[in-house]
Amino acid sequence: MDASRFLFVAGSLVAAILFLAILVFFTRQKSKSRGSSLLLVGPPDGGKTAILSTLVYNQTLPTHTSLQTNASVVAVPALKKSLTVVDIPGHPRIRNQVDEHIGDAKAIAFVVDASTVSRNGAVVAEHLHTILNALTSLPPSQALPALLILAHKSDLVKSGTAASATSESLAINRVKTILERELEKRRISQSGGVAVEGLGEEGERTEMGGLECTGEKGVFNFDTWEGGEVVFLGTSVKVGSGEAEKVDEDGLLSLRQWMEENV
Amino acid sequence: MLDHCSISHKGGLVLWSRSFTPDAAALALSSASPVNSLIREALIEGRTTEEKYEKDGYAVKWTFVNDLELIFVVAYQRILQLTYVDDLLAALKALFVKMFQPFLATFVASLHALNSGKAAVVEAASAFNFADAFDGWDRVFDKLLKNLEEKAAAERKNRLRPAVRPPIEDASPPSEEAETLPTQSPDTPQDEQQISRNVQALKNRLRGRGGKMGRRGSARSDAGSGRESVPNSDSESPAPKRKTKAKVQRKWGDEAPTETDMASLDFSVDSVQESGSSQDLQALVDQASMGTRTRDGMYEVKDWEFSKEEDSAIARALGPAEAEAKTGSLGALGSLFSRLTGLQVCEGVGESLVGKKVGGFQTTNAAVRLALSTSLTRILTPKTSTDLLLSIRTKLSSALPSTQQRMPYSITFVGVNGVGKSTNLSKVCFWLIQNGLRVLIAACDTFRSGAVEQLRVHVRNLGMLGVNGAADSKGRVELYERGYGKDAAGIAREAIAYGRDNDFDVVLIDTAGRMQDNEPLMRALAKLVAVNSPDKIIFVGEALVGNEAVDQLTKFDRALRDFSSASGGGKERGIDGMLVTKWDTVDDKVGAALSMTYVTGQPIIFVGCGQTYTDLRQLRVGNVVQAILAD
Repeated sequence: MDASRFLFVAGSLVAAILFLAILVFFTRQKSKSRGSSLLLVGPPDGGKTAILSTLVYNQTLPTHTSLQTNASVVAVPALKKSLTVVDIPGHPRIRNQVDEHIGDAKAIAFVVDASTVSRNGAVVAEHLHTILNALTSLPPSQALPALLILAHKSDLVKSGTAASATSESLAINRVKTILERELEKRRISQSGGVAVEGLGEEGERTEMGGLECTGEKGVFNFDTWEGGEVVFLGTSVKVGSGEAEKVDEDGLLSLRQWMEENV
Repeated sequence: MLDHCSISHKGGLVLWSRSFTPDAAALALSSASPVNSLIREALIEGRTTEEKYEKDGYAVKWTFVNDLELIFVVAYQRILQLTYVDDLLAALKALFVKMFQPFLATFVASLHALNSGKAAVVEAASAFNFADAFDGWDRVFDKLLKNLEEKAAAERKNRLRPAVRPPIEDASPPSEEAETLPTQSPDTPQDEQQISRNVQALKNRLRGRGGKMGRRGSARSDAGSGRESVPNSDSESPAPKRKTKAKVQRKWGDEAPTETDMASLDFSVDSVQESGSSQDLQALVDQASMGTRTRDGMYEVKDWEFSKEEDSAIARALGPAEAEAKTGSLGALGSLFSRLTGLQVCEGVGESLVGKKVGGFQTTNAAVRLALSTSLTRILTPKTSTDLLLSIRTKLSSALPSTQQRMPYSITFVGVNGVGKSTNLSKVCFWLIQNGLRVLIAACDTFRSGAVEQLRVHVRNLGMLGVNGAADSKGRVELYERGYGKDAAGIAREAIAYGRDNDFDVVLIDTAGRMQDNEPLMRALAKLVAVNSPDKIIFVGEALVGNEAVDQLTKFDRALRDFSSASGGGKERGIDGMLVTKWDTVDDKVGAALSMTYVTGQPIIFVGCGQTYTDLRQLRVGNVVQAILAD
């Protein structure tokens, strides 16, 4: 009688401990998996969803403006690992969804349409500014995600005179120059300004920072940006193409290489 | 007939699409495609009220499958009245989901890797082959479309046939020519009955004429009239007879009604045979709004419920199955929805919830609340930059050809009387001065007495206030005034020219208040806008009047657009932003802010919330959403 009761108590104890152990194991795993995703952000019509489709399905589906966030797992064959790629819509009204995902980001890829950036540079810079601000205002306990800027649709950039430069480097140069110029404009307009207070919350930081640089006179420059290194890559995809064999030839080669090295 | 049809995932991946013309195909690939603008303007910004969206001559209709996150879109030329589009969408939805359910489920799961198991997803994702998966769909679609088009064509024919016949009948009653043509009667066969009827008619006519003439007492004209009426009746009466043999004899009221007539006219007694009678009775009493009967037999009338309509709208939108089970919990949301002015918002939210699976620990209430808050945030979040300072500096620093002088940044304040245009203009002016800009105020309110003096006092005060610690800011702000009774547009132009010559950075143009329905005044305002083309037109509205402000705003916007395109260089110009004043008077009743951004899609740039120069605030989306959703 006593023995059976003892057995019962012991058994239930073991079961409880096992359950706890499993729970701890899973939560540990979950916390370990933090900081493992690649966020695709950027203005609308930049090509984020197309990149996601190419990475995930090895084929580029036609896309339209996204209404919601996509998150998919991409296998990185070289490292036998997988990476979650999160594609966040670029429409100004819903792009703040990036705040939900930035906590688990290992890297953030800001996708810019290199063929139109000269026309809507100010809008792109505003978006990038929010991302830079979000990055620099992350709590210090968290490792800073790497920032990639993809000069996408580089195949559409026409090289004007210099035949030596590839279209990719041309796209990168163009995107970098325009964004630096526009961000510097934003920085100047903010540094001297008195912003209007937000309604209600008095103590909260109202203006966006994230543009501080260590260089001389604080002029904004990606090379000296305080938030860490910024990597520029030129990419392109072809809608409609998409055979699995051509993986190595596509315009995302540089991105894939970067992923292999840094994930 | 159709131009474009596509099936896509809400995340932006197009699963299947087809364009029916080369133009549409080219357009579909660009960012300005009808589908893209539908999503941007109608779905994300939530700006459409109907279930149809029109853009660039295209009409677009769409439908959702929420649990698989699919959107079905059909675009066609707006001028075509395609009746079968709704049927097509419904059929597409049903068929597509039925045929590819398993594939779609895995596909959607692969796009939600954050929530689901990883390993399984990796396996599935690499095995996707979209071309193979939707193999048979092209054929199915073709067949479906053909069926529907044929059906629509047949229907149109059916509709046209009765429509075609009446014209023939209309044409058949003899016209003037027919009366004079004697050939018509001989070649038509007439049976004896008809002939006898004709004779009768002729006699009747003669008698009638005779009677009339007889009263006049002229025998000579009697014979004449009889003669001339002969051809008349000859052709007149047989013609209708020939064509409308089945015509029922008209009953005139002068004869005594028969029994059957009585029966047919008696509506007081329900015929027992009608099966619907019992249902009709039920329809008279709405069971839902019935009062309760107390134990001792007293009938108590139910309490008035404010939320009833919205509640049922949401319940309806949630779909029958869910609505039945969840109406109880939705009741709590009544107060919430009654705060929202536009039911369109509610309907949009409801639509986005149909078919959604509610999570295990989530109540329907919470799910609806979450969806509502997302949608409100989306509406209130500005789609353009509200950073006024940045756009001012951008304009001032932009490169100019050396021959051209730099124009100051001009902002026009418009609004109804007494909302606080001048007061808030001076607040904005204070803020600009604090940012080190030189401001010129143009007193274009040349109507209300004291308007210029009011601005003069403001300028004096602002001039005495320090800038960034420096004691004197004189010279940073000036008033440009030309007295009363002058043309406001002219003064504004002179002011801008003055500002340009004297190196001012910003010109703030104060206009006279006017009611939104006063057309001559609105024309004058549009002229001011068209002549000066200010960089920003800010509508000043007071929070106090609630949704009246929405009416003001829409009418100002409409009038400015209409009249400025008519008078100016053909470029439409509307409101660029809003300034909501007297915000401190409304506490948490901030629904008007939502409605105002909803109807124009323009941002609220500032909020005025007090009496001093510093009482200018920027609206925080989070706060407003919180205030609206708070119980």
